Amino acid sequence: MSVTGAPPTQPPAPAPAPTNTVTLTIDGQAVTVPKGTNVLEAARTLGIDISAFCYHPGLPIVAQCRQCLVAVEKNPKLQPSCQQVCGDNMVVHTTDKQSTLARKQQLEFTLVNHPIDCPICDKAGECTLQKLYFEHDNADSRVDTPKVHKNKVVDLGPTIVLDQERCILCSRCIRTCDVVAGQHQLDFAHRGDHEILTTAPGEELDNPYSLNTVDVCPVGALTAKDFRFTMRAWELEATPSVCNGCATGCNVEIHHKNGRAWRLVPRHNPDVNDYWMCDEGRFTYHDLREERLAAATVDGLPAGWDRAIRAAADRLAVGRTAGQFAVVFSALHTNEDNFALAKLAQAWGVSHFYVAGKPPVPARADGRLRVADINPNMGGVKAIAEALGITIKPVYELEGSIRGLLALGDILPGVDPAKLKELEYVAITAHERGPVVHANVALPTAAWAEASGTITNNKGHVQRMHAAFGPPGQAIAGWEVIVRLAQATTVKLAWTHVREVFKDMTAAVPAWNKLTWAREARPLSLRFAGSRG
Amino acid sequence: MAQKVLDSLTAQHAAAIEHTESQHGDEIAWVKRDQLLAVATWLKTDPTMLFDAPVFCTCIDRLDWRPLGVPPSQAWTEDKPRFEVCYQLRSVTHRYRLRLKISVPESDPHVPSLAGLWPAFNWQERETFDMYGIRFDGHPDLRRIYLYEEFVGYPLRKDYPKEKRQPLVRRDDLPMNPIKVAREHK
Amino acid sequence: MADSQTLKQLVLGRKDVQDLSDTEHDLPPDLMTVNMGPSHPAMHGTVRIVLTVDGERVVKSDVHPGYLHRCFEKESEYATYTQIFPYTDRLNYVSPMINNCGWAMVTEKLMGLTSLIPKRAEYIRVIVSEMSRITDHLTCVGASAMELGAFGPFLFFLKAREWLYELLEKVSGARLTHTYVRVGGVSKDLPDNFAADLTHTLDETVKVMVEVEQMLNGNKIFRDRMAGIGAMTREEAIASGCVGPIARACGVDYDVRKDYPYSVYPEVEFDVPLGTTGDCLDRYLVRIEELKQSISILRQCLKQIPDGRIMVDDPRCSLPPKKDTYNTIESMIRHFKHIVDGIKIPAGEAYAFVEGGNGELGFFVVADGTGRPYKAYCRSPSFVHLSTAGQLIQDHLIADIVPIFGMINMIGGECDK
Repeated sequence: MSVTGAPPTQPPAPAPAPTNTVTLTIDGQAVTVPKGTNVLEAARTLGIDISAFCYHPGLPIVAQCRQCLVAVEKNPKLQPSCQQVCGDNMVVHTTDKQSTLARKQQLEFTLVNHPIDCPICDKAGECTLQKLYFEHDNADSRVDTPKVHKNKVVDLGPTIVLDQERCILCSRCIRTCDVVAGQHQLDFAHRGDHEILTTAPGEELDNPYSLNTVDVCPVGALTAKDFRFTMRAWELEATPSVCNGCATGCNVEIHHKNGRAWRLVPRHNPDVNDYWMCDEGRFTYHDLREERLAAATVDGLPAGWDRAIRAAADRLAVGRTAGQFAVVFSALHTNEDNFALAKLAQAWGVSHFYVAGKPPVPARADGRLRVADINPNMGGVKAIAEALGITIKPVYELEGSIRGLLALGDILPGVDPAKLKELEYVAITAHERGPVVHANVALPTAAWAEASGTITNNKGHVQRMHAAFGPPGQAIAGWEVIVRLAQATTVKLAWTHVREVFKDMTAAVPAWNKLTWAREARPLSLRFAGSRG
Repeated sequence: MAQKVLDSLTAQHAAAIEHTESQHGDEIAWVKRDQLLAVATWLKTDPTMLFDAPVFCTCIDRLDWRPLGVPPSQAWTEDKPRFEVCYQLRSVTHRYRLRLKISVPESDPHVPSLAGLWPAFNWQERETFDMYGIRFDGHPDLRRIYLYEEFVGYPLRKDYPKEKRQPLVRRDDLPMNPIKVAREHK
Repeated sequence: MADSQTLKQLVLGRKDVQDLSDTEHDLPPDLMTVNMGPSHPAMHGTVRIVLTVDGERVVKSDVHPGYLHRCFEKESEYATYTQIFPYTDRLNYVSPMINNCGWAMVTEKLMGLTSLIPKRAEYIRVIVSEMSRITDHLTCVGASAMELGAFGPFLFFLKAREWLYELLEKVSGARLTHTYVRVGGVSKDLPDNFAADLTHTLDETVKVMVEVEQMLNGNKIFRDRMAGIGAMTREEAIASGCVGPIARACGVDYDVRKDYPYSVYPEVEFDVPLGTTGDCLDRYLVRIEELKQSISILRQCLKQIPDGRIMVDDPRCSLPPKKDTYNTIESMIRHFKHIVDGIKIPAGEAYAFVEGGNGELGFFVVADGTGRPYKAYCRSPSFVHLSTAGQLIQDHLIADIVPIFGMINMIGGECDK
C-alpha cells in the first residue's frame, strides 16, 4: 500500500451516495461526508490540517478566532471552515494565496502581544499556538513595540491558575464550563487588546469539571495547580486506560514517565465520556503511589513470594476444610482478577461469596459524568458472578462463622477489625492500608494503572485498560497471584498471560462472548505525537 | 528517474506486481511474495534490466504507522500486513536503481531468500532475520548475525521496548571461583 | 601420531634437542579450530573469526560481527533528525563528516531541499568530507602497513592525520565526533585563515605520502605480502555488493561522486583510480591514488568556494538567530519546536547515498510526518565487505588474513551500526 496520499489529480469516482451525505472538493480532492459536517472536519478526513484555535468538536462552534479561514468558491469573502457547513458540490481551497495569507496574518495578530513565556510555560511542548505557528506561519516578527501587560498569576478557583497575557481569547474554556459543567463561571471582560478572561460576576471556577478547561486551552493561560511546574509535557508518555474513580469509566490517558504517573487526561469516547472527565477522577493518579504494598508480607513482616504463598495456602486450608471459608471479590479490580478468583474459589468448593465495594456517594450524581457509585467495576463483578452461578452478598453481611477469608482489594466496608483479627485473612491488594494491616498474609498486586485488563461500567460497557508501567517492588498482576495460590493448593489454573484469562472469561459470560482482546498499547511519546489540543 | 524499469516490469510480470510508485526519485515496485524469485531472476538476467549489484535488504515494521499530514485511513490497522521487506537493487551497466517491496503478514513472516542470486543478501537477510524475525526460505545459513544466539525477541520490531534488558547468559563451561570469606560469628 | 601428552614433554620437558625429529613426531594432521578476535590487535574494531585451519592454511572460516552493535537504528527511532547526527558520527568513525553529510542528504531529499542548499554550505560539506576521506585512507593504509611490520609508515601517516584532525577540530570543535553538518547546511562557518591552514597541511601531507610511498611501493616484503592475496573478480565484487576502493581495485568503475553526482562534485575535476586484479596490493594502490585525488579536490574547492549563507533560508530547518530567540515570541517558538519536536519531515521514504571512505554509504529513511524517523536504516559498506572476508581468506595462510582484513577496511562502528 502506498504510504502517501492518493494522487490529487484522480479523485475517486463518487459512488451513488445515500441522501444523507454531501460531496465536496477540497484542494482538488473530492470527499463525501455526512450532512452537517463542517469543512474543517471534512478536510481532516483528507489529512489536510487547517489551523484552528476556538473550534473543538465537543463544544458549540463560535468562529471566534478566525484562524481557520478558507476560500470557498462563489463566495467573495473567506469563510471560517469550522462554521461553514459542507454543501454539495462546494469547492474549497486552503492552499490559495489569499486564505493562506489570512491564516498567517491571524497567527501574527495572535502573537503580537503574546508573552515570551515558552521556557516557563507549562503548555510548552503541547501548545497549539506553538504548533500552528511552526507549521503554518514561521515568519519573523514585524513589531518591536512593547507588549500589552495583564495579570499573570490569577487564582481562578481551587484548581486553576490563569495567566491573562497568554490567553488568546478563544473562549473554549467559557464554553466548556457552560456545556460540560452547566455553570457559567468564566467570561471575557473589557475589549480590544485589553480584553481579558476572568470569572463571571460573583462566581469562582469551582465546578467539578473545571480541569477540562486546562485540556481545551490551546495555550498555557489556564494551568492546573495540581500539575503546573511538576513535569514537562514532552517528557511524558501516554498510555490509554480507563479511570477507576467511579462507575462511569471515563476513558483516560495516563501520562507517565519512568514508572510514575504525572497526570490523567480524558480520551475521546462518544459512548462514555465524550471528551471530558471530572476533576476527582483526574486526581486518582495520586493514589498509585500511596501506601503501596511492595513485598508479600506474612504476619506483617516482608517475606518472599514462595514463603508467602505457602503460608497463605496453609492458613486458608483451615477454613476451607471446615466449609467456613469466604472469598471477597473487589469492585475495584479488573474483570480478569475477579474471574480468576471466582474460578479458584469454585475449584476449592467455596460457598460463601462476598463483594467489597466503596459505599455510594449520592451527592455526586449530577446527571453528567459523575455518578453515585464510586466503584469502577461493580457491573463486572455482578456479571461474572451471574454467569458462573455464584450468589454474592455485600461484605458487610459477613457471617460470623467464617474462619478463613481470601479478599481481593484493600477495603472491607462494614467488617469489624476485631473480627478480622480472629480469622485467617489473606489479602490480595495493591495498598497496605485499611483492613490489610490486620491480614495474616498480604500478597502485593498491581494497581489499576499497572494492570492490563477490562472493567465494566455502569452502562455495561466492557472497557480495556492498558498497563502504563510495571507494578512496584515484587507486586504482580492480580490474576497471576491467584494462579500462584492455585498451584500451592494443587488446583490447576493454566493461564500464563492475561489474554488467556480474558478468553476463558468471555467464553463463560454470555454477554461478553463477542469481545476480542486488542494488542497491548505501548506508551506513546507525547513529544512526537503532535500537540494535544 | 527510471520509470521505464517500472513500465517493463509491469509489462513483463503483470501478475506478480501489485503496484508501483515513485517517491523522491526512487522507483518502488511491490511484488507478490510467491513470485519474488521469478521477478528477481528476471531482473538480474534480462539484458534490458541487468540488476547485478545488490544494495541493501531490510524490513519496515508498520505497527506504529500513523503518519501525520495524510488521510487517517492510511494509518496501519490490524487487517493490513505488518511487515514490508525491502530489497534495493542497482544495475551497473544501465545505472538503474529499483526497490522491491514484499508485504509480509505477522502471522506468517516468510519470504523467499534472494541470497542465491546476489551473495550480498546472505548477510543482510541474516540481519533482517536477527532484527525483525523474518524467515528467509532457502537461505543457506539463517542465524542471528549481530546478536548472540540466546537473545530472545526481535529488537527492531516496534513492540520490542528499547529499554528491555535480557538476562545474562550463564556460561557453565567457564570456571567459577567464588571468593570465600571467613566469617566469625560473634 | 604422537598424542598431545608426549608432544608437550618434547617441547616443554627436558628432552634433548637431538631427540626431536620431523619425521618421527609430525605435527598432528587434524584440523584445528582457532578463534581470531574479537580482542585481537589485527582485528580492527572487534570482529571474531572462527577459523578452521590445517596447519597455517585456512580451511573454513566463520566471521562473527556484532560486537560493536550499538543499536543505531533503534535509537534513531527515538531521536529527532538533528539528534541523529552524533549517532552518524560514530558509524564510520574515521571519516565522520561523510556520515554526517549522508544523513543530511537523506533528510534534505525527503524535504525536497536538495537543490536549495546554499553553494557555500555545499562546498564546506565537500571540503570536510574529502578531509575525512583522507583521514580514513591514511588510517587504513597506515594501520595495515603496521600490521605487516612497517611501523614507520603508520607513524608518518598518523602524523599527517593529526594535522587534519587539528584542522577539523578548528572547524567543528571535535577531533573525531564532529556533528558538524545540519539539515539544510552546516552548523558553523569555516574558521578564519582556514584556506591557508588547509593548503599548508595538504602540502605537508603530500610530502609524507611521498615518503611512505618510497618506503612501501617498492618494498619486496610489502609487495610479497600484498600482491596476489585476497583477489576477487569483477563479477564477484559486483554480485557481493562491494563498492568503494575494494570494488575499484577489481576494476568496477563505480564511484558515487561520478556516477550519481551530488553536492558540488560536478564542479570539481578528479579521476577515479581503478585496479585490475583486486588483490590487496591493488586496493592499497587505489587508496593511495584516491588520497592524491582528494587532495586535488580540496585544492580546487578552496579556490572555488563562494561567500554566502551556510544554512538554507528555510524556517522549517534553520534555527533563528539567538538574539531573536530571546526577544521575539515567534523566534522563541520556532527555536523551541526545532529542539523539542525536531524538523518535521512529511511522510514518505527515501534512500540517499554518498561516497564514503569505504564506498556507497547510504541511509534509507522512512519518515512519518513527525520530527523523528519511523525507520532509519544505514547501508554500511563495511558490513557488505566483511561478508566477503570469509570467502577471501579461504585457502590463504593465517598470516594473509592480516593484509586482507586490513585492506578491506572494515570499520567496526559502520559494520555493526
